[in-house]
Amino acid sequence: MPSTHAHHPPHHAAQALVELCAGILPVWERQLAASRAQAEVAVGQMLKAFADIGPHIDMAERQSRQISDALSPSDGGIVGLADACEARLSPLIADASLPASSRDAVNQVLAMVRNAVHALQSISQPFEHETQMVAQQVEHMYTGFQYQDRINQMMALLEADMARLRSALTNPAAEVPQIDRWMAQLESQYAMAEQRDNHMEARARESGGPKEAEFF
Amino acid sequence: MAKTILVIDDSASLRQVVRMALVGAGYEVIEAGDGKAALAMLDGRQVNMAVCDVNMPVMNGIEFVKAAKALPGYKFMPILMLTTESQEEMKEKGRAAGAKAWMVKPFSPSQLVNAVSKLCV
Repeated sequence: MPSTHAHHPPHHAAQALVELCAGILPVWERQLAASRAQAEVAVGQMLKAFADIGPHIDMAERQSRQISDALSPSDGGIVGLADACEARLSPLIADASLPASSRDAVNQVLAMVRNAVHALQSISQPFEHETQMVAQQVEHMYTGFQYQDRINQMMALLEADMARLRSALTNPAAEVPQIDRWMAQLESQYAMAEQRDNHMEARARESGGPKEAEFF
Repeated sequence: MAKTILVIDDSASLRQVVRMALVGAGYEVIEAGDGKAALAMLDGRQVNMAVCDVNMPVMNGIEFVKAAKALPGYKFMPILMLTTESQEEMKEKGRAAGAKAWMVKPFSPSQLVNAVSKLCV
């Protein structure tokens, strides 16, 4: 059965490959540019949503702290007031001359106060825990959003290098670029350790998560 | 009165993340998309600090630091470089240009606020 592939002499095959690449590269560049633009829009929309809910999360956190402060055992706090009531009333309860009915009444009042305080604490402690967890997760999300910027930079560099290759392919009058010089120029534009590692076929390092600032 | 931080980054989403972190901590934020646009904002107004990317079109972060340090009134403005660049050679360039600190993206908002509060006194 005859082959359906066209057979070209070597020179024509090379020329056909150049034409193929020159035709494909602009398509790849446009697709990369579109992907970058869409990722930017997606992250922009998510950030806008976060910008809208951010103040509400901050307010919930503030309110949670205010409730905890109001309940505190220090002077002026509800727990502190309940403790003070108990301390002031305990000599009265211990007084043998106090009628039994009065002692029962005081004990009942103190029990009601303790129950009310426990009820408030049982609401405030989970609320405080939840708001802290939400705030921590929001912080992680803000960190996560920044990976789009890294992806954007990596893709932009590829896009630019594709354009450089297309220009070299479609400009036959120019000298054929040397691969070493080409690679050196590409490598000089890297900003991230992962890019350099990938260039060298080394196992790409993970970004390792957020790090503290280095002060000079 | 809230302190004003100039945030310079060519990525709008990154500027937004920085803005949210700093505004949440009580700072006022103004933004520029590159070094040249940022320089134009240093027109005599009170800017307490700059948070600046390195790799940007038109004018990069290192050039911005050098140019800002040459402007009367902004010589002592602290500048934190906030960048994906982690090479020692680039950090040295930033330090030599006059930057006060270097922070690598991705950053945690609380770490950024912590660094800004140390520099913006």
